Amino acid sequence: MSSISTDRAEPNLTPILDMVFQLITFFMLVINFKSASLDLSLKLPVLGSARPVDSGGEEDLLVLNIDSEGRLKVGGVAQEDIEGYIGQEAGVSRAYARIHGKKPVAEDEKELSTIVVVRADRATPFQLLNRVIATCQNNGFRRFSLKAMNRVEAH
Amino acid sequence: MRRHRRRRVQGEVELNLAAMLDMAFQLLAFFILTFKPSPIEGQIMLRLPPPRPAVVVDSDKKAGENTSDTSPVIAMESLIISVFPGADGRVDTMLVGDVHVSGEAGLDARLKTILTDEGAPFEQVIVQVGSKLRYDELMKVVDVCTRQKLADGKKLSKLSFVELPDAPPDTN
Repeated sequence: MSSISTDRAEPNLTPILDMVFQLITFFMLVINFKSASLDLSLKLPVLGSARPVDSGGEEDLLVLNIDSEGRLKVGGVAQEDIEGYIGQEAGVSRAYARIHGKKPVAEDEKELSTIVVVRADRATPFQLLNRVIATCQNNGFRRFSLKAMNRVEAH
Repeated sequence: MRRHRRRRVQGEVELNLAAMLDMAFQLLAFFILTFKPSPIEGQIMLRLPPPRPAVVVDSDKKAGENTSDTSPVIAMESLIISVFPGADGRVDTMLVGDVHVSGEAGLDARLKTILTDEGAPFEQVIVQVGSKLRYDELMKVVDVCTRQKLADGKKLSKLSFVELPDAPPDTN
């Protein structure tokens, strides 16, 4: 009778591990935590001349998502008290500017260097949008970035 | 004296890669499931100061108080663009000053004529907008405005918004 070999055949796992680590590295590099503050359900207006964002990585941004009903959403959470929220953010921006020794951007000392990023739905009536913009202006924000898509994207 | 060297056992130390592979697959699954490529967004950068009155008024003085002062009232040079929406929220009527313009091309041509005129330097551009105008329609107007160059060669990036009642004025 022939004896059965008891040696275990072990696959070489090193190549598969290499490949998996490569994939993990790829996904870690392309992950974008900034998109957490964006409400991707909004349908932004489409403008061919809208330029890609180039903040140089040092700008202080306040992202405001406004849906077609005029509701302000920040980080996926609807803010009921728009004036209170923007006033609070203005206070934070002032403290940030003071700590980092930033100068105001223009002639008025009350002006803030923070850029307000307005991501509004394309169907939002001006009345509702203007309420948010006017509140920002009353709190010292002057620099605005109005978001738009370069081309129509499928939602 | 003679030294005896111990013979070391040359057995290979093998890492158990299965556990590491399990963990790597868990991480990979997490990244794949949470991966959501965000669409590429563009932006229009603007300075939006609150609109200032078109005439500078000195509140400390009363009209006719100083009879020797015959200088005219200092007026702020303002270019006013009025946009009135139709029932569907799209642009119905557009005026630059008191002049009707039709469509984005008409607005573009009119603004080019006015803003490149060195004799008419504007300190502020006010966009008066009907309350029901849709945001995408407003952005088209803003887009035309931000494409303009002023007489000094700089791009127009300073606008002010004012909300209007929706009925267009009778300019005839």
